[in-house]
Amino acid sequence: MASQSIVPFIFLLLVAWCSARPLYPLPSRRNDRNKRPLQTFRPFNIAHRGSNGEIPEESAAAYMKAIEEGADFIETDILATKDGSLICFHDVNLDDTTDIVHHKEFANRKRTYEVQAVNITGYFTVDFTLEELKSLRLKQRYPFRDQQYNGMFSIITFEEFISIALDAPRVVGIYPEIKNPVFINQRVKWSGGKKYEDKFVETLKKYGYKGSYMSKEWLKQPAFIQSFAPTSLIYISNLTNLPKLFLIDDVNIPTQDTNQSYWEITSDNYLDFIKEYVVGIGPWKDNMVPVSGNYIETPSDFVARAHVQNLQVHPYTFRNENEFLHFNFSEDPYNEYDYWINKVGVDGLFTDFTGSLHQFQEWTSPFLSREEDAHKLLDKIALLISKFKHA
Amino acid sequence: MADGVISVEKIKAFWHSQVHDPDKWDLNKKLLRAVGLFAGSIVLMRQYEQPTKRKAHKGGAPPMASPSRSVFPFIFMLFLVGCSARSLYPLPSRRHNGNRQPLQTFRPYNIAHRGSNGEIPEETTAAYKKAIEEGTDFIETDILASKDGVLISFHDVILDDTTDIDEHPEFIDRKRTYEVQGLNRTGYFTVDFTLKELKSLRVKQRYPFRDQQYNGKFSIITFEEFISIALDANRVVGIYPEMKNPVFINQRVKWSGGKKFEDKFVETLKKYGYRGSYMSEQWLKRPAFIQSFAPTSLIHVSNQTDLPKILLIDDTTTPTQDTNQSYWEITSDKYLDFIKEYIVGIGPWKDTLVTASNNYLRKPTDLVARAHAHNLQVHPYTFRNENQFIHFNFSQDPYREFDYWLNEIGVDGLFTDFTGSLHQFQEWTSPLSTGERDANRLLDKIVFMISKFKLKKLV
Repeated sequence: MASQSIVPFIFLLLVAWCSARPLYPLPSRRNDRNKRPLQTFRPFNIAHRGSNGEIPEESAAAYMKAIEEGADFIETDILATKDGSLICFHDVNLDDTTDIVHHKEFANRKRTYEVQAVNITGYFTVDFTLEELKSLRLKQRYPFRDQQYNGMFSIITFEEFISIALDAPRVVGIYPEIKNPVFINQRVKWSGGKKYEDKFVETLKKYGYKGSYMSKEWLKQPAFIQSFAPTSLIYISNLTNLPKLFLIDDVNIPTQDTNQSYWEITSDNYLDFIKEYVVGIGPWKDNMVPVSGNYIETPSDFVARAHVQNLQVHPYTFRNENEFLHFNFSEDPYNEYDYWINKVGVDGLFTDFTGSLHQFQEWTSPFLSREEDAHKLLDKIALLISKFKHA
Repeated sequence: MADGVISVEKIKAFWHSQVHDPDKWDLNKKLLRAVGLFAGSIVLMRQYEQPTKRKAHKGGAPPMASPSRSVFPFIFMLFLVGCSARSLYPLPSRRHNGNRQPLQTFRPYNIAHRGSNGEIPEETTAAYKKAIEEGTDFIETDILASKDGVLISFHDVILDDTTDIDEHPEFIDRKRTYEVQGLNRTGYFTVDFTLKELKSLRVKQRYPFRDQQYNGKFSIITFEEFISIALDANRVVGIYPEMKNPVFINQRVKWSGGKKFEDKFVETLKKYGYRGSYMSEQWLKRPAFIQSFAPTSLIHVSNQTDLPKILLIDDTTTPTQDTNQSYWEITSDKYLDFIKEYIVGIGPWKDTLVTASNNYLRKPTDLVARAHAHNLQVHPYTFRNENQFIHFNFSQDPYREFDYWLNEIGVDGLFTDFTGSLHQFQEWTSPLSTGERDANRLLDKIVFMISKFKLKKLV
């Protein structure tokens, strides 16, 4: 009789022993409770696809570099694989930013699909399993950027992206995009009748992302959910109260799900409607301030109208290279930041060059929280006083 | 005899300093006017005395001839004094010239390379004025000569790349091929055009990726016009002219009296009162650096002026145009030891100071260290904002490049096309303290710091 009751007991012990984790925190995580919080007193520095001035976009290295350089949020685009894994990748096709063309084993996967009413030919992520995608290597998109990291990094999953943010020594927010949801839902099916948006939110919840904008929970793990498709944003409003951002494409491109024009979705009427679901708008910067002869003109009233509806504005995308800078700024990216932050008054900026934006913000509106600042202040006071003594 | 010669020189120098120095001349003309009036009034008084005296003596009609004869020279002298003397009061725009903000000397020099030419075509009045507005310490120019010996501000020996010479059919027959620094160049050369002809041309932006909207609006300026832009600024702005291609110029252009390009160059500077050794009182009032790739030209002008000189150093494969010395020779310790008697610094091409590979900077060479050991300043050229000119280490960020060169390499001045960016960087990281504004900001900071403690207590 005794041996019979011991066996389940021993079994229970084994189970408890295997599943329990150590009682002490891991050495690298000992200061987790005292992580420097997210700054909220100046516009957000959003690392657009990571810091990809040198390193290929959406790679682990690019995100880690962005965190090092001082980003407030790391941004990514979420797409799906054939077997339903969520990955960090911007284009629906692999041709421009991976070495897919060098993989003969996939030569027969080339397809032509219609994406947002345009026929695109190439190798699509939705035709590859995660394992196959992991065998590819990323490359730098722009030829004028550093090519030396081509072939070194692979595509990462949504979960790996999240872990990079959670692993940072300070609080770093995430800014994932529900990308091409119409196309993804056409091509990829999940079990249980779940859609792409459901899996997206599931992943966020799994890692503890929740809470409305500026709530206590949100500040511990900040996140914005962005998308060009308004119905996706409305759909997930029922699943999570994380803040959402509505992205707006160019003037001639209608929304992929509701086929509404740029003019319709930027009207006061529409802003009034969408503000129930989103906390802000993410427009293309050249639509907010029109350009002529490579000089910017008078800003449109868009930012003003958005702010009136209590909506934030996070324009995209700021890049340092002079071909992206209008002549008003004398080819100086800092002048561009100055204009958008101080004259136009936006609430966040998507930039490829996290370090430059961070440096600009540190020089013009720095943190006042450190001891070295206190000592510098004392030095300055002494200097001021000494001038009077001599006089 | 020797003594006599020296005193003549002294007299000449004295005359020069009294007449050609604007400050002294201000004083002198006032004195002249006063003397003229005094002398004139004495003569006038004597004129009116004489007739009454004669009347008293002879009792007859006073002869009119003698007063009028002595009045004429008096009137003539008054005329002379009246015309040569200028107004007693300073011009309204110059009233504060005595209190101009002086040159900053506590941080590396911001040298506007050919003016601020990110948008505006290089070496134009507008580019220089923009540079001054943007906060430059020195405006830089390259001096060449026209056919009739006038010194102009222009960089290339040929007009093709930065002017609309192609659109002037009247000059179509002026195209030539000359050898310049060992290379055959074909084009329209400045030395084949008179100043008047050059003035009929219009300048254009050199780089196609820069703003083209100012093409055709500005003309070439002379050295004197360049100098007047600096003198006219509302703070002290230095000049940084280069004796450009002196070997070529002296071959093609002849001046009277056996004078050479370098002589005319220094003459112009002296005419406007530029003199004094580096950091002397006179120099600080009118700062200037003379630069050149040709060491013999710099040595030649050392006898004529003690203004500070900078030896420019070309690429590693280009020998000096006058002495045919290699890069390695002129950057050796031995040469620096020799040339430091004549110059205060060197101006190398920045990619020779820190070599680059695959568009990444490698370790610096020791040239800056050795130059500094010889007490020579280093002013590298040229810093540009466009990403094609910025190495990958800097993430296409010109401010990071400034940071590296100023804080890690420790150079003493920077030639840049983008004056505003360098000025902004320096203001943000090593600002001139402005007294009251800083004091108020400090008070705000202190209050902020204290308030944090107060809040904690309440909690």
